[in-house]
Amino acid sequence: MNATMPTAAATPRAPILRADHVCKAFASGKLHTQVLNGLSLSIDPGELTLISGPSGCGKSTLLAVLSGLQKVDSGHVHALGSELGQLDLRALEHFRLQHTGFVFQGFNLFPALTALEQVELPLNHMGLSKQEARARARRSLEEVGLAHRIKLRPSELSGGEKQRVAIARALAKEPELLFADEPTSALDAANGQTIIDILHTIARTHGTTVLCVSHDPRLVAHADRVLAMEDGRILSDRRPDASASKETPP
Amino acid sequence: MVALARKTLVYEWRRFLPAILAVGFAGLLQLLQLALVLGIFGATSVYITGSSADVWIGYPGTQSVGSGRSIDANVQSRILMDPAVTRVEPYEWIDGDWRGTGDTGGVSVFVSGIDTSADGLMFSKVLPAALRTRLAEPDAVIVDRADLGKLGVTLDGTATINGRRVRVVGVSSGLRGLGGINVLASLDTARRLDTDDDDAGPTYLVAKLSDPTQANAVARRLRGSAAFGPYTTWSAADFARISVRYWLFDTGAGAGVLFLAGIVFLVGAVITSQTLVGAVQGSVREYATLNALGVGVGALRKVVLEQAFWVGALGLVGATVLGVLLLLAARAEDVPVTLGPIAALACIALVMGQAAVSGMAAMRSMRRIDPATLLR
Repeated sequence: MNATMPTAAATPRAPILRADHVCKAFASGKLHTQVLNGLSLSIDPGELTLISGPSGCGKSTLLAVLSGLQKVDSGHVHALGSELGQLDLRALEHFRLQHTGFVFQGFNLFPALTALEQVELPLNHMGLSKQEARARARRSLEEVGLAHRIKLRPSELSGGEKQRVAIARALAKEPELLFADEPTSALDAANGQTIIDILHTIARTHGTTVLCVSHDPRLVAHADRVLAMEDGRILSDRRPDASASKETPP
Repeated sequence: MVALARKTLVYEWRRFLPAILAVGFAGLLQLLQLALVLGIFGATSVYITGSSADVWIGYPGTQSVGSGRSIDANVQSRILMDPAVTRVEPYEWIDGDWRGTGDTGGVSVFVSGIDTSADGLMFSKVLPAALRTRLAEPDAVIVDRADLGKLGVTLDGTATINGRRVRVVGVSSGLRGLGGINVLASLDTARRLDTDDDDAGPTYLVAKLSDPTQANAVARRLRGSAAFGPYTTWSAADFARISVRYWLFDTGAGAGVLFLAGIVFLVGAVITSQTLVGAVQGSVREYATLNALGVGVGALRKVVLEQAFWVGALGLVGATVLGVLLLLAARAEDVPVTLGPIAALACIALVMGQAAVSGMAAMRSMRRIDPATLLR
């Protein structure tokens, strides 16, 4: 149908993440909902890309298929040179373990663990030594400004601090791809701003590709690229600060 | 490695408490049931455990003390020839029909004909020396104090067994059996009460060894000679075990016990698994986040299994403490309870097995973990 192929022509680098004619539908009883319909998209490395749009437009589904959390019905997703559709469940898990970080709207922290342990836990599974996992976790928490809170459990942290722990948990893995789904929507203005600044810094200083789904307008100013979605299609693709911005007509 | 399973268990102990209690009480029930059953069925081997014989000689294939068959009396000289044996005496087992003077009808009794000499082996641990001497009197019998009413007789009263007159010269305790009433008599008296003409020799021979720890080796050595007709040998411990096992497994009693044990196991497992499922559901978003970050479902399952293990271990500790206290109380009140190391190990295995089954059932609920549901 109205598939759009945004061309990030201004960037000389090869895309780190690419979707080709991706379709995804959900069946709920007899109801068949086509969420993504032949969508194509390229994401460049080291950028903070924002996908925005009204709820139900398919932006979370897009994030799910781009990150390998869900399989596409048809089409292809290439991430870091791997075709995600070709990977089985175990290989997908391994891909996510080595290359991706996630930040969700809910913070999803284990109530029993301290901030340091929350961040350390996934690192244990990456095959890092105990010392290295601890050192990395500490560094990440320092980077999100929680150096003084590392011994506290979620019940002793504010919402903003919890989200910073969640970001540190994703960041400590040193992923090439960081996916964030509405990371600020459960937070007040000040905390939301802090999270936005952190995500921005991550893309700048670590060269991490950050793909963020949000309808928070404050994020727009910080994004390198903003994709507006509606009804499973990309309406516009622009770069707020760059001259190479390009508007795609609906 | 961050000990997620243990830290969660400690931090959210209230959530896990029902499972620990379920495992603990199920374990306690199993333990007490087993101890009671072993205690009660232990009575079927009172002939062996109440005596100081180290080796028993009887008819091959005998399944319990009460189902012996007569062997050749000459076997006695064959047994005595072994240098390790210091004493051998015959033991007569006769099924009798007791008719008392009271209105008790016929009562089925097991007559034990024993050597009445002061150093006799049979019932040496439950029969005082003075009473043993009185058995030498003609037609004298001794019964357990608690059985007097059932037999419709009083001390010094008379009755008949298999139509022949006997006189109760004494009462003792610790003689109660299972399935019939034990009556002690001298070998001579017992032989006169025996109406079966085929019983030429004694039902058993029992032997004392100079070194009781050699019972198994001597029993093995004494076996295998057929010169005096068929017989076999057991160490006293083995024969007691055979008798108890016969009652436990070859009668319906054991099946009932196993059935109850199964029910207790099931109920405990259901409660435990439901608690663990609840714990999984309570952390499903956190597990899903870990899975999104690439931690495999297998590793997450291990967390649940480890929690199940700790629930089992903690329940076991509680069951052990309570169980020991209750068993001591039961002993103090003369309730027959017995618990050996094998039975205790079986209980531990049951409890941990229950925890493992529950953990595996709870792991099934982890199939619902789907990180895509975290995106909305």
